[in-house]
Amino acid sequence: MDLSLLSFVQIIVAVLLIIGLMVGNAVVMVYVERKVAGFIQRRPGPYEVGPIGTVQPICDSMKLLGKQLFVPANIDWILFFLAPVLAFFPVLLLFLPIPFGPYLTGLGVGDGILLILAFAGFGVLSNILAGWSSNNKYGLLGAARAVSQSVAYEIPMIMALLAVVFMSGSLNLSEIVAQQGSWPWQWNIVVQPLAFFIYLVSLVGETNRAPFDLPEAESELTAGFHTEYSGMGFALFFLSEYANMLLVSFVCATFFLGGYKGPFLDGFWWTFAKAYAVMFFIVWIRWTFPRVRFDQLLNINWKWLLPLSIINLWLTAIIMKIIS
Amino acid sequence: MLRALWDNVKGIYSLLVGMSITWGFLFSPRKTVHYPRQVVDSEILKSYRGPLELIPDQAGATKCISCQMCVRACPDNCLKVVKSEGGKNPKTWIYDFSLCCLCAACVESCPAGAIRFSHKVYLVTKTREELKLDLLADLKARKSAILGNVPKKSS
Amino acid sequence: MSSLNFINPFGVRDDPGTVVGDFYTDNFERNARPGTVILNLGPQHPSTHGVLRVLAEMDGEYVVRAEPVLGYLHRMHEKMAEVKTPWQFIPNTGRVDYLHPISWNWAYAGAVEQLAGLTVPPRAEYLRVISCELNRISSHLLWWGAFVMDLGGVTPILYAFEERETINDILQIITGSRLTMSYFRFGGVSSDIDARFIKLTKDFIPYLRERLKMYTGLVTDNVILRRRVEGVGPMSVDLCQRYGATGPILRAAGLARDTRRDIPYGVYPKLEFPIPTGPSDDCFGRYMMRLKEIETSLTIIEQALAQLPSGPYMMEKAPKATFKLPKGETYFAVEGARGQVGVHIVSDGGKSPYRIKLRAPGFSNLSLFAEAAKGTLLADALAILGSLDLVIPEVDR
Repeated sequence: MDLSLLSFVQIIVAVLLIIGLMVGNAVVMVYVERKVAGFIQRRPGPYEVGPIGTVQPICDSMKLLGKQLFVPANIDWILFFLAPVLAFFPVLLLFLPIPFGPYLTGLGVGDGILLILAFAGFGVLSNILAGWSSNNKYGLLGAARAVSQSVAYEIPMIMALLAVVFMSGSLNLSEIVAQQGSWPWQWNIVVQPLAFFIYLVSLVGETNRAPFDLPEAESELTAGFHTEYSGMGFALFFLSEYANMLLVSFVCATFFLGGYKGPFLDGFWWTFAKAYAVMFFIVWIRWTFPRVRFDQLLNINWKWLLPLSIINLWLTAIIMKIIS
Repeated sequence: MLRALWDNVKGIYSLLVGMSITWGFLFSPRKTVHYPRQVVDSEILKSYRGPLELIPDQAGATKCISCQMCVRACPDNCLKVVKSEGGKNPKTWIYDFSLCCLCAACVESCPAGAIRFSHKVYLVTKTREELKLDLLADLKARKSAILGNVPKKSS
Repeated sequence: MSSLNFINPFGVRDDPGTVVGDFYTDNFERNARPGTVILNLGPQHPSTHGVLRVLAEMDGEYVVRAEPVLGYLHRMHEKMAEVKTPWQFIPNTGRVDYLHPISWNWAYAGAVEQLAGLTVPPRAEYLRVISCELNRISSHLLWWGAFVMDLGGVTPILYAFEERETINDILQIITGSRLTMSYFRFGGVSSDIDARFIKLTKDFIPYLRERLKMYTGLVTDNVILRRRVEGVGPMSVDLCQRYGATGPILRAAGLARDTRRDIPYGVYPKLEFPIPTGPSDDCFGRYMMRLKEIETSLTIIEQALAQLPSGPYMMEKAPKATFKLPKGETYFAVEGARGQVGVHIVSDGGKSPYRIKLRAPGFSNLSLFAEAAKGTLLADALAILGSLDLVIPEVDR
């Protein structure tokens, strides 16, 4: 890959668009999440600000912007303010290799999935720093939980994606999409249902969402690693949580659900529709289930997801060898 | 091993059952009452205990005989009834709603049957002082409202 | 000088006389093992249900030792009883335990009636049973939602509130209030039920039975909840009895103790109802126990409505607000939603009782927590705390 001026400009434009996408996604998802929660709980959700409450997330972000940054005593100043920034910016990079449409990719790298998986680990780093630096015992416990959870759930996630990579023989996301067909039965979910299931479970674990939201379990640790953050520090964690959700949903759509291909008229709208369907699933289970316990969370991973994903990988490898 | 696997399959089924229940509620009608636009059923409010009010007699005046039974019965000392000179009827009837615990001790101890609970749900004030209600003035206002007169602005 | 320094949040214990933090924290920290973290849960914490404070010594995720600290919601109800006339204290009883106020109404009114020798007309006794059981259901429903919320499921509490609102509507018809009811009077109740009350109650019973099936599908059979509560926080009958725990906790452990059956009061002897004992003495047993009690209460209400006699709802010459208690001493206990609610009155024949002791079941139940939480995970400790069905205003009184 040669970094010519053109590709440099392309990356700049892509990063700007991705920032727009992240912020817009957070605004939309805050509204959708609260509306879905409201409807499931048989109440209207946000209703007052703007027509049926649509301006509510913008008002919320204005409020967060205007809030005083409350700083607890005896903190580690550098790390305390570095952590939210570190949570936000690596996610930008992760969106670059995703093929939103047939020719709509931020950075057409050959090993796109490697880039994503390599930088996905940055999210947990910010959680550790936030929990450690804020001089709070809840934060520390939350950080400790975040580390073991992220380390654990990354492995079956990679294994599940690797099974798909074995089939397509490419680490390039555009290539993986190109090998899938337009119709649902031509997608990878049909040939790799177990991998899809493992990925679906571990993406919830990876993004710290309920029922796997142990690092920020509000009934145990009040808010976990971001207990002491207020104002924009909190908002950045919030933004990066939704951005991470969006990222894993896009990867899910790309790997298992045919990416930008759809029954009629391929295009970026299919990628977005599929990704947001996965997002809706994440929101839906959040408002349905109780939270798992921490040791159970790790047991699910190490005792079930990891062996299953290894078996799945083995089977895929053997079958691919036999076929080819 | 297989048993544990089967348990997990059953567990996943139970999760799907839970998800189907919340999916059903996602499209069911709302249960909440959106206050400024909707109000609760007036049938429910019939038994609601709002602030006290004086019961008017035939002429629209108060039945209160200033016997101080309610004042003595009240656990919260929220009533102040002052007898008028040369008559049985009260001169002032001040009721501090901010102290009242709505226990109905006054209503049940009143020998003349002069007080009852109103059904004012939407009583809102900005200060505690405004919660000191003058029930005689309130009675007068209701009387003139019944007679069809526009109540005069209280001085 | 340093020994008097009570407010010293960032103090370092350089000499043994220094008190770091408040008394409880200091005392707790002095007995801590080296290498553990003292975690202060509450008084403002999402899962301590109000203002309970729990000091926990944590070894990683494990609770080595935990100790509840009480008194943040002490409102001197017992002292207030000593300065008010007996009648004037009735509204206070509804405020002791805001989730099951009618049981406190009953305990207090019953104690006064026992001491003064008042008889309650039969219709009033049935009205007492109906209102008390309806209130018990609403209390258990709120516990159900709050317990699942402690475990991280936010939605069920709002479903529980739908039923709770219906019960509140029903109880509002007779009591006039939706939360802190003061319905009982010495020698009867304050108002009679009407046709609308009976219709709403009769509609509500089958409706709640339908909803309980939904609860089973959504929560009880849910594998995540099952694995969170099964085998967590066992409290044996022996432990319960040593600490004086009563109510669903004791019955879940396997001992069928129920004040309604053991020390009969009101018209409970005339009603047929089972005293369910729980499947196990862990959190799941207590969970199932309360769901079973909802069903028991429904059958009691059905029977009481069928047997409801006509007649007055208040005795003749009922005591007025200036009523004085005769000289004497008495204890009266009823079965509340959380266990045995007792009122002990000592009267010297004066304007107000000489002393009143309120036996709050939540206080005894809470003392089990320190024992049960030893060596559990933090999440389990909070599940145990939730399964005790604590109402902090009642614990502190």
